[in-house]
Amino acid sequence: MTAVTDPSQRILELAPVLDFRAATPLAEGLLAMRGTALTIDSSRVERIGGQCLQVLLSAKKTWSADDTALSFTNLTPTFIEGLRLLGIAEADFTREEMSE
Amino acid sequence: MSVDAMATVKQTFFQECEEQLAELEAGLLAIERGEAEPDTVNAVFRAVHSIKGGAGAFSLEELVQFAHVFETTLDHLRTGALEPSADVLGVMLRAADLLADLVVAARDGLAVDGERSDVLVAELNALSPGGAADAEAEEDDMSDFSFTPVTVAFDFSDSAADAGRSFTVSFKPKPELYAKGNETALVLRELERLGQMEIICDASDLPLLGELDPEGAYLEWAIKLTTEKGEDAIREVFEFVEWDCSLSIQADDAETGSTDDALAALLRSIQADETVVPVALPDAAPPPAIEEPDPSAAAAKTGAARNEPGAAAPQTIRADLERVDRLIDLVGELVINQAMLSQRVIEAGHVPGSAVAIGLDELEQLTREIQECVMAIRAQAVKSVFQRMPRLVREVAGMTGKSVRLITDGEGTEVDKTVIDRLTDPLTHMIRNAIDHGLEKPEVRVAAGKPAEGVVRLSAMHRSGRIVIEVADDGAGIDRQRVKALAAGKGLIAADAPLTDEEIDNLIFLPGFSTASEVSNISGRGVGMDVVKRSIQSLGGRLSIASRPGKGSTFTMSLPLTLAVLDGMVVTVADQTLVVPLTAIIETLQPKAADVHGLGGSARVIAIRDAFTPLVDIGRELDFRSAATDPLAGVAILVETEGGRRSALLVDTIQGQRQVVIKSLESNYRHVPGIAAATILGDGRVALILDVDAVIANSQSDVTNLEPVLAAAG
Repeated sequence: MTAVTDPSQRILELAPVLDFRAATPLAEGLLAMRGTALTIDSSRVERIGGQCLQVLLSAKKTWSADDTALSFTNLTPTFIEGLRLLGIAEADFTREEMSE
Repeated sequence: MSVDAMATVKQTFFQECEEQLAELEAGLLAIERGEAEPDTVNAVFRAVHSIKGGAGAFSLEELVQFAHVFETTLDHLRTGALEPSADVLGVMLRAADLLADLVVAARDGLAVDGERSDVLVAELNALSPGGAADAEAEEDDMSDFSFTPVTVAFDFSDSAADAGRSFTVSFKPKPELYAKGNETALVLRELERLGQMEIICDASDLPLLGELDPEGAYLEWAIKLTTEKGEDAIREVFEFVEWDCSLSIQADDAETGSTDDALAALLRSIQADETVVPVALPDAAPPPAIEEPDPSAAAAKTGAARNEPGAAAPQTIRADLERVDRLIDLVGELVINQAMLSQRVIEAGHVPGSAVAIGLDELEQLTREIQECVMAIRAQAVKSVFQRMPRLVREVAGMTGKSVRLITDGEGTEVDKTVIDRLTDPLTHMIRNAIDHGLEKPEVRVAAGKPAEGVVRLSAMHRSGRIVIEVADDGAGIDRQRVKALAAGKGLIAADAPLTDEEIDNLIFLPGFSTASEVSNISGRGVGMDVVKRSIQSLGGRLSIASRPGKGSTFTMSLPLTLAVLDGMVVTVADQTLVVPLTAIIETLQPKAADVHGLGGSARVIAIRDAFTPLVDIGRELDFRSAATDPLAGVAILVETEGGRRSALLVDTIQGQRQVVIKSLESNYRHVPGIAAATILGDGRVALILDVDAVIANSQSDVTNLEPVLAAAG
C-alpha cells in the first residue's frame, strides 16, 4: 500500500491483496489520514478478506462521523466480487461518493 | 498479525498437513485392503478437505486446486457413486503421493511438476461419474479461485423448490478465526458453492477507526442458502472455524419456496441495523447496540447450534521439544540426587523402617512416577515412521518392476521421539534393500513356486524393555556363496576362512561391501548396510540378520525405548562397579561346583535347570583381570540376548538394584566395546553400563565352539 500525498486531494491506493496481513497497515494508513478528504484508489485490488473489509467499513463510518468526504474509485471487478461475497453491495462503497 | 505469528501459523499448518496426509494414506490403504470402517472414507475426505482449507488460507493455489479435484473424486467415493476398485484406489494413492509432494513443495517453496499434476487431475476427473463433462465443470469451478466475477442469481424464491432446502445461517467470526490463518471470505466462498446464497453483512458492532483493532472481528453475516445438500454439508464448510466463531444453522420449513417469515424478519432487522453508511455520529457515541426483540435473531446471535465436541478426539497440545527435554534432564538430575540422598541417609546410620527411610522410599516412588510420566511425553508410536513406508514400497516396486505388498504390524508400539526421528533413514534403506535385493522378479518367483507378489513385512514390538523392529521379505534369501566370494574378492576375508552361515550373512554389514554387481539406482548410491548398522548402533541399537535360502531374509533391529534412564542391577567386578540393564536379566544364582563344567580352554558352561548355558566371565571379557574368576566365589546372572539366546554372566558380587540415568560415553568420550553408556551413582562415582549383547557377542568364539557340545548335551 502506498500513500500518495497530493496537495489538493489525498489519495490512498489499496494494496492488491487485502488479506489479514494487510489489515493493520491499512488501518494505520487510514488513521494517519483521518480528518482529511480522502479518495481511496481501488484499482489494484485483487482480493479482500474479512478484516480489511472491517477496516474499510470502519473508515467509512469514521469519515462519515467526522463529516469528511471519503470516496472509493476504480473498483476492480475482483474487488466488487470480493465485496459481494462478503455481503456488501458495490453501491455501499460508491454511494457516498455519489452523495458527496 | 505479525510476520512471525504468520510463519508460526503456517508451520502449524504444514505439521497438520503431515498428520492429515498420514491419515489419508492409512485410510486409502485400509479401503484397499477391505478393512475400512464405515467412517474411513469420511476421514479420508476430511483429510483432503482440511488440507485444501488450510492451503486456501495461505493462498497456496496449486495445492488448493489439486486438493479440490481430489476431494471431488473422493466425494463420489463417499456417496457411493464410485466403487472402490483396485484401479480407483491406485489412482487415489498416487494422488495422495502427489498431494504430499505438493505440500512439501509449498512448504519449501519448490517448483511443482505440473505435468504430473495434470496427468493425475485428468485421471481423477475420469473417475468421476460423468467423466469429462464433470471435469469441464471442475475447470470452471477452479477459475473462481482467482476471483473472476461470477454471476449469482439472487432470486431464490423461484428456484427454492427445485434447488432443495433453504437454510438460515448466522456466522460471526471471532478474532481467533483470523489469528489462526482462516479467512471469512474463503469460508463464504465455500458456502456459496453449495447453492444459491443471499448474504448480508451486519456491521453494527463495528467501532470507529480509532477504536478498531484491525485484527479483531466485528462483523456478522446473515446468510440465506438454498442448497440440495444437507445441513452436514454446510457444517463441513465451517469445520475449521467452528470453534472460532458463533455459528447457527437453521433449516427453513419444507420446500415451500416462500421465505420464512421469521427469516424475513431477521434479514429485515439486520438490514435495518446495518450501519455501513451511518448518519453523522459523534465520536464519543458508544457503538450502536443491537436492540433485537426478534427471538429468532437472538437465537441466531448466541450461536445456539454450535456443535458439541467429538467425544472421541483426545485433546492434545503442541509443546516445544526443548522444554520437554529440559524437563527430562531435570528429572534425570532429580533421580541422581535422590539416589545420593538415599546413600547419605544410609551412611548417617538411619535404619530401614525409620521415618527418614520411609520418607525417602516415598520420594523414590514419586520420582519414579514423575520420570515415567515425563518419558511418556516423549514417547511416540512408530506409526509416524511406518506410515511413510507404503509410498516408498510403491515407488521402489515401480522402479524395479516387482510386485510388492507391504504388511505392517505393531504400529502403535511407542518409543522415544529421538529414536523415532532417527529411525526413518535406516528403515527406508532396509526396505529398499529388501525389495531391490531381497525379493525376486515376479517371473522368477512364479518359477520358484511362489506367488508373483512379494511380501515385505514391517513389524514393531516391545521385547525385554527394548523396541524390536523387523523388516522381513519372502525373497530368495542371501546367496551365501556369492556373498563369501565377493567378500573374499574385496579382501574383506581370507578366501579359505571357515565361516558359519551366520557369519557369512553378517559380512553384508562390513564397510565396503555391496552385493549389487552394478550400483543400482535404488539401494546403491554408495550407502551400504554398514552405514545402516552404524546409525542404529549410534542409537544404542543392534542390527542382526537371519536368512533362509529360498525363504527370505529378516533384518532385526533392537533399540532402547529411551535414551535417558534405565533400571539396572549394580554389580562389582574386579573392584569396578558395573550396571547390568535389568531388562536383560532373567535371574541370578550362586553357582555350585557340580553345575559348572569346563570345556577346554577358558570356556565354561553352567547347568541351570537341565540346560547348559555358557558362562561369560565379565572380568576377563572386559580385561579387568587376566586370570579366570572362581565361579563358586561369584554370582551368575542369567541374561537373555536379543536373539533369545541365554547366557550367564559371572560377576563378583551384586550390590543392588537401582534406577540409573544414562550418560552417553560416545558423546563424552568415545565408544568402548562391551560398554553401552555410563552413569553417576549415588556416591558420585561413575559406573559403566554393560552392553550385555555386545559382551556376549564378544565371547562368541567360545560360544560358537560350544554349540555342538551343547546340542549333544541338550
